[in-house]
Amino acid sequence: MTMRKAVLMLLVPAAALLAAGCGPKQMYTWRGYDDSLYAHYKNPQDHAKHIERLQKIVTQTEADGLKMPPGVYAEYGYALLEESRFDESVTYFKKEKETWPESAVVMDKMIRNVSRLQGTKKTAAGGKKSAAPAAGGSSR
Amino acid sequence: MSRHRVSILGVALLAALLAAGCATAPKKDYTAFRSENPRSILAVPVVNKSVEVGAADLFLSTLTVPLAERGYYVFPVDVVKHLLEDDGLADSDLVHSADTRKLCNMFGADSVLYVSIERWDAKYMVLTTQVTVSFDYTLKGCKTGDAIWNNKQTMVYQPQSQNTGHPLGNLVAMAVQAAVTKAAPNYMPLARQANGMVFAYPGPGIPAGPYRPEYLKDDAPAK
Repeated sequence: MTMRKAVLMLLVPAAALLAAGCGPKQMYTWRGYDDSLYAHYKNPQDHAKHIERLQKIVTQTEADGLKMPPGVYAEYGYALLEESRFDESVTYFKKEKETWPESAVVMDKMIRNVSRLQGTKKTAAGGKKSAAPAAGGSSR
Repeated sequence: MSRHRVSILGVALLAALLAAGCATAPKKDYTAFRSENPRSILAVPVVNKSVEVGAADLFLSTLTVPLAERGYYVFPVDVVKHLLEDDGLADSDLVHSADTRKLCNMFGADSVLYVSIERWDAKYMVLTTQVTVSFDYTLKGCKTGDAIWNNKQTMVYQPQSQNTGHPLGNLVAMAVQAAVTKAAPNYMPLARQANGMVFAYPGPGIPAGPYRPEYLKDDAPAK
């Protein structure tokens, strides 16, 4: 065995140990959530791609029955809100709150914001076919 | 320096890293941290002291994963950023100088993480390019508004030289590699490594949060 091979044999397990952080494996399956944020900050104007990436993460994680990592539902809800997809955004803010009770204060705030925005939208549209009162608490 | 010497140095360095990551007892005082005992961390937008304009947001994207993996609820960083902007806190300097407990109330957080980028640069040195990132992290508790943990981390990367088997070829290869690194320095792996090291515990990092099995059981024995 060459010296180089010997060194490599030492290095590889050491690197693996380091990567594992000396502890248990990762708690969550992130599916590139941080990369999706990175891409979003690199190309903020490409909003459709941002939503698509988050949607993929959310759908796959739910399909696998895994716990959604902190913040992912909320980030997806926010991306939907920016596209004025109000009802869908509320769905995901609620999911964040159910999965992570620590988020309750912000998620309640977001849900209130959405109702307010929906109210403004409806008023602006001349209040045509108002299916639900604009006030908060109507979404489910 | 011969290749073997370099390899051996590499092994020694790795061993030191491993030892630092796994075995060192914390020298920090965690009394304040334990008395706050946060469940959640609000990572607010990052202050950027480097000249690289986009660095703050790019770095912000690296914080959630390592903090959540330490067992904490981490507030959605992009939502937080937008809510702060809506509140007139679009400038991260303003966020960092705002009353911590006000931020805590606004989000219902238990702690707030402030990071400032001290360095984020690539230095071209003809035959090599040195990429450096450096961060200063402070966690403040929401009960008192005081700092309960802080840490600094600097990471430096220099591309390895390739051996072309010809001295002149080696020089050319190094210069090309240095120029490429200079043109598109990749800061993100370095930034992630910095976070990985800075939050690791035991060590100078953050004790396990409530979502980790070793929560409240990972106190290192008193030194």
